[in-house]
Amino acid sequence: MHRSFFLQNPSILWFLTILAGFTVGVTLVSEVTGVGLISTSFVKTLGKTLCLCLVAIAMDVVWGYCGILSLGHFAFFGIGGYAIGMWLMYARTEGIVLGSLAGQPIPPTPAEISDAIGNQIFGVVGSSEFPMIWAFADNLFLQLLMVVLVPGLLALVFGWLAFRSRVTGVYLSILTQAMTLALALYLFQNDSGLRGNNGLSGLQNIPGYEDFSQATISIVFFITSAIALAAGYVFFAWIVSGKMGSVIKGIRDNEARVRFLGYHVEGYKLFVFTTTAIIAGIAGALYYPQAGIINPGEIAPIASIYLAVWVAIGGRGRLYGAVIGAAFVSLVSSWFTGGGAPNINLGFYVIQWTDWWLVLLGFSFVAVTLFFPKGIGGLFDLLVRKQP
Amino acid sequence: MPRLIFLALTLWLLAPVAVQAQTLQDILQTHQDEVLKPGRRSVGVVLDDLVASGLPQTVPFLEAWRDREIVQRDSDGLFFRATEDGDAITLNDLDTGENVGTADDADLTDSRPNGGVRRAIGDALVQFQLSDPNILKRRSAVNAIARSMEASQLGPLEASIEGEIDPTLRATKQRLAGMLGARFADTQDKRIEAIEALSGDLSVDVRAVLNTILTTKTGVAPEPPADKNIAQILTVGTDLTAEDAYARLVAADLAPPLISKAAIRNALVANLDGDTVGGVPVATLNTDAARATAYDALAADGLLPQRVSEAEQAAAIEAHSFYLAYTEPDTAITDAARAALRSIETNVALSQAADLGLDALSLASIYFLAAIGLAITFGVMGVINMAHGEFIMMGAYTGFVVQQFVPDYTLSIIIALPLAFAVTFGAGVTMERLVIRHLYHRPLETLLATFGISIALQQLAKNIFGTQARPLTSPEWLDGALVFNDVIAISYIRIAIFVLALLFLALILFVLKRTRLGLEVRAVTQNPGMAASMGINPDRINMLTFGLGSGIAGIAGVAIGLYAKVTSEMGADYIVQSFMTVVVGGVGNVWGTLAGASLIGFLQKGIEWLNPSNTLAAQTYMILFIILFIQFRPKGIVALKGRAAAD
Repeated sequence: MHRSFFLQNPSILWFLTILAGFTVGVTLVSEVTGVGLISTSFVKTLGKTLCLCLVAIAMDVVWGYCGILSLGHFAFFGIGGYAIGMWLMYARTEGIVLGSLAGQPIPPTPAEISDAIGNQIFGVVGSSEFPMIWAFADNLFLQLLMVVLVPGLLALVFGWLAFRSRVTGVYLSILTQAMTLALALYLFQNDSGLRGNNGLSGLQNIPGYEDFSQATISIVFFITSAIALAAGYVFFAWIVSGKMGSVIKGIRDNEARVRFLGYHVEGYKLFVFTTTAIIAGIAGALYYPQAGIINPGEIAPIASIYLAVWVAIGGRGRLYGAVIGAAFVSLVSSWFTGGGAPNINLGFYVIQWTDWWLVLLGFSFVAVTLFFPKGIGGLFDLLVRKQP
Repeated sequence: MPRLIFLALTLWLLAPVAVQAQTLQDILQTHQDEVLKPGRRSVGVVLDDLVASGLPQTVPFLEAWRDREIVQRDSDGLFFRATEDGDAITLNDLDTGENVGTADDADLTDSRPNGGVRRAIGDALVQFQLSDPNILKRRSAVNAIARSMEASQLGPLEASIEGEIDPTLRATKQRLAGMLGARFADTQDKRIEAIEALSGDLSVDVRAVLNTILTTKTGVAPEPPADKNIAQILTVGTDLTAEDAYARLVAADLAPPLISKAAIRNALVANLDGDTVGGVPVATLNTDAARATAYDALAADGLLPQRVSEAEQAAAIEAHSFYLAYTEPDTAITDAARAALRSIETNVALSQAADLGLDALSLASIYFLAAIGLAITFGVMGVINMAHGEFIMMGAYTGFVVQQFVPDYTLSIIIALPLAFAVTFGAGVTMERLVIRHLYHRPLETLLATFGISIALQQLAKNIFGTQARPLTSPEWLDGALVFNDVIAISYIRIAIFVLALLFLALILFVLKRTRLGLEVRAVTQNPGMAASMGINPDRINMLTFGLGSGIAGIAGVAIGLYAKVTSEMGADYIVQSFMTVVVGGVGNVWGTLAGASLIGFLQKGIEWLNPSNTLAAQTYMILFIILFIQFRPKGIVALKGRAAAD
């Protein structure tokens, strides 16, 4: 079964080979092995990019294959980040608090420890009480479960409500955008229990591994992200191939016809929507420990639209297209906005890319939509077709 | 001159005994000691005589006295106003104000009134200021009374009302006298009368006066005391928590204080004995129970005060009664004040509801203005234009640019409205020709392409106009607010936006229903092929319709810019709400957009009213409500029926 699956989809093997080569290559020239060709901060950027690729293929499955333009998948990504961030922040603060309380003449009571941690974490929003949603924050296993459960349940409930009443097309897009906006606005409040617009910070310090250098930790996360991306890629490739994949693509092309053929369209859509939301949450949980900070601004609706932009530029309806799009646009974007691109002097005006990059991105995005609906991935078709 | 007569008359009325004409100096000479060494009590005699004299030079003298400028010349005992000029001291006659020469410091004795005396002088001055010929002085005296109401001000204030010639100030004085009377009038009847007179007034200061009368103090006693004006007996558990109740007992010295957890811990630390405290090993002291055991062991040895057990606390609380008592002892007065306050609060609540309704109406008209352009492009044509918000922004910036060239605000707004329409009409037509035309059959891609245009336009605006907010100044005749009473008020700008929204509703309905263009638009929307075969050019119609929708967004931008700041991100703030307005209202129908805007506007204000401190939460709940609403009416409030509804 698996043999034939991989043989039917040679692009998967290609992708896995390239990804493995890339991962090994980066690891060998990083600071961990002493070569130091690639700085730790750039390893982090690459690791983050891999996580963005993972959420991009989830987006590709839900949009490119199933035809649901969800403008909420970056919100699921953010929820995953918040879920893991809660544990990271709690455990690290607990370590610090226990260290400072150890010198006391009398051992602290559990209530005293909890108060001290609460003060440390929620001092910035003028509170010291632990809100309900932090109930599991002291337990890594439960909090990892939250990474999967919270986005999954939210997507399940939202999707069930939306698909049940046959909200489709642009209406669904607007509705998911509204959901994202509501979530972001909620998190911006100080009494949301997640530190308002301060967000969660210091996530790059992994509790229990304080002795390891950031170089080592960044490589571990980089490799983990690569493995997650590979697993996600194979998983989604398996989902979109075979009979179920055909039904999903059928829903994209003509929902009514698939329904008349006797398929339970809502069930398939709900499955795809929820599964991709969970993968997005996992990607977020891997991304934010590398980014170090998460705040509600990351969840704003525009982030989800950018996600769709990446997928569209990379090429919808093909998983490697999403990976290429996410990697290309996010890396180029950080090159332009980070001041890497040289300014262009027109004589009467100097084009500074930090100011003009978004204009370029916006218009090139219009051009891609108009003239290259297949995106960068479409170039591969040309290659394949040229070969006899 | 008539004012002076008024002044003299008023002062004469105030005077219990008419005093014959005399000079100020004469009066001061009769009270030499009191003037030179004034005490709080003795100064009253001097002030009474001065007020009674009715001399116009009294006011400058009192001011000088208050400012410690009065001296006595030792040689003849006469009083003067002294002004220091370098080393020399110049003396001025108190009656004529003339300079009568200089003197040496050693020959003079200063009058040094202390703080209390100066306050008494100040009070006496208020009486004069209230009747001062200069209206500015009278007004500032009235304001000073309104800021700090005192019993002593009531008499002078009432006396000055009759002579007041300015009708506005007279009304203010009467109102103030009413409030002072409610608090300080000398008989119960007068106070109750004054309180009842206040009950028609909704203003904040009247409510403050009534609340001051109704000030309560908490108290605790074994039995509720009969000699106090009890407002409420508090029940432990419902009105106050057991902890609060016990804390009050402790504060009233009726119960021994509790030992807090922190105190227990500190006591244990202070009594550390090697590895044990009170026989308990230190390492096990990481629970409250273990700490309590150790503490009790120490307490049993008499080293520490005993802890109060929970049963003892409960018994102490049980044995006492907790109450709120009015500081005002008279029951009749507090009853009257309560009744007056209740009737005021009912009126205030009604007015607040009306005010909230106006607010909601104004918010709804803003949403309507922002969404009406979308109702055409998205609602009628089915094109998702994510750059709609940026058209609003373009309109607002057009207004800003026009104001840079045309300094007259009225004229600039008149120029800006059509110009904003022209600019965004052009932008809309260009966008339709270049981009949207190619994507009519791929709505999701229209969404993404227009989003690309949106971020590009936003960044362009940022590059051109900078990131800081630009003001769009409204003409003077739009400043201020229409005030119905102390609670209900609406600014003229909001009224103007409301009128503008109504105008647009009428205009759009007219264009769509009564003109050739509208007919063709509806035909092309329903069936492009059929319309084309009837000789309509669908390309041209689509272009014009899109231009119209964009142009209206531009005008909305000018209107929104007048009441909010113009920034490059202002469009993004409205885009999601605008889409929801159209979707909730029902696509393809202008009335639907109106219904959607009203629903969202009223809903948002309603939620904000329930949770006033938090507009973010209000928006969150509103969006959640809309998501749920669409579950039950996916086609919106005003759903199209029949063939027109087909996708």
